Amino acid sequence: MTEFRLPPNSRIRKGVTHKAPAGAGEVRTFRIYRFDPTSGENPRVDTFELDLKSCGPMVLDALIQIKGVIDASLTFRRSCREGICGSCAMNIDGVNRLACTTSMLDLKGEIKIYPLPHMPVVKDLVPDLTNFYAQYASVKPWLQTRTPAPPDSERLQSKEDQERIDRPAACILCACCSTACPSYWWNSDRFLGPAALLAAYRWIIDSRDEATGERLDELEDPFRLYRCHTIMNCTDVCPKDLNPAKAIAEIKKMLVERQS
Amino acid sequence: MSLRSPLGRALGAGSAKDGVRHWWMQRLSSIALVPLSIWFVVSLLSLPTLDHVTVTAWMGQSWTALLLILFVLVATWHSQLGVRVVAEDYIHGAGAKTLVLIALTFAHALVAAAGVFAVLKVAFGGAS
Repeated sequence: MTEFRLPPNSRIRKGVTHKAPAGAGEVRTFRIYRFDPTSGENPRVDTFELDLKSCGPMVLDALIQIKGVIDASLTFRRSCREGICGSCAMNIDGVNRLACTTSMLDLKGEIKIYPLPHMPVVKDLVPDLTNFYAQYASVKPWLQTRTPAPPDSERLQSKEDQERIDRPAACILCACCSTACPSYWWNSDRFLGPAALLAAYRWIIDSRDEATGERLDELEDPFRLYRCHTIMNCTDVCPKDLNPAKAIAEIKKMLVERQS
Repeated sequence: MSLRSPLGRALGAGSAKDGVRHWWMQRLSSIALVPLSIWFVVSLLSLPTLDHVTVTAWMGQSWTALLLILFVLVATWHSQLGVRVVAEDYIHGAGAKTLVLIALTFAHALVAAAGVFAVLKVAFGGAS
């Protein structure tokens, strides 16, 4: 059966509190999920009080400041700090988003930070995305053709055809959408999830691709595609304002249309 | 811990090449249920009283019996399609899942048959 409660070794206990230094100006409190698999201990939530005058305005700035000044063992992924690499996706105040593009001014009160939901945790805020990436690879996210490429030019595409794939192709694979989806929580071993399905859609509607039928065949499955129950959390949380829910609906529509 | 590659696990047993029909039938049955449900509620509410004699007389009319049979069949069919998805969502053991799906299918067939039988019995005058 689906597990609605965390297993005993995942239940969260109270953590340590790091008080702000005396004379700190603008203090903001962070409650951050901590887990170290090598310690053999259950996860805990640590409290950090941070002087906002000491760092930049984004949640990622605060995390970097905490790691640099208060607790060097705090572990999280980050790279571009401008919303294009997708590394710093985490659950901030109950919503999956990128720490680098989330301003602390937009959040009220204490800031609660957890790893992306319902994924195995490698350490602290770092989820194990192995299955997520494997599912992306499984939809063959590359151009498949039978017609040989023109010897003296690129494979051409009209401006309109390019515009159709322009948005779906902007996915940064941060996993905010898939890990916000209850269907993905319960069945991530078989349901591909919104991110992989959006990628599949991007290649299905690519005017240069010649494997549209095979791609649809591969998706026509009660679990791979049809576990999507149009909950729409994916579209709600996408930090790039993409619409995986609509892409999935379009795939379902194409599967019906090719039957009659 | 499995030594199978992550891609191997993601690909699993491959695509079932099935699901469109289920999805389309669920939409089709829900479309059919809109007028049928409205007709059912409005017709019942417009009866002068809801006592046994009045309701069985209403059920005995040809059009009423016909639409009631359709309503029972479409509603149980729609329910069967929907509840199946719920079971697949939440029951993960292959054995338990198969048993529950069998039980649900039989239960829906029983409800559908009982509903049709009841309407026919009343319509053909055997009600008591």
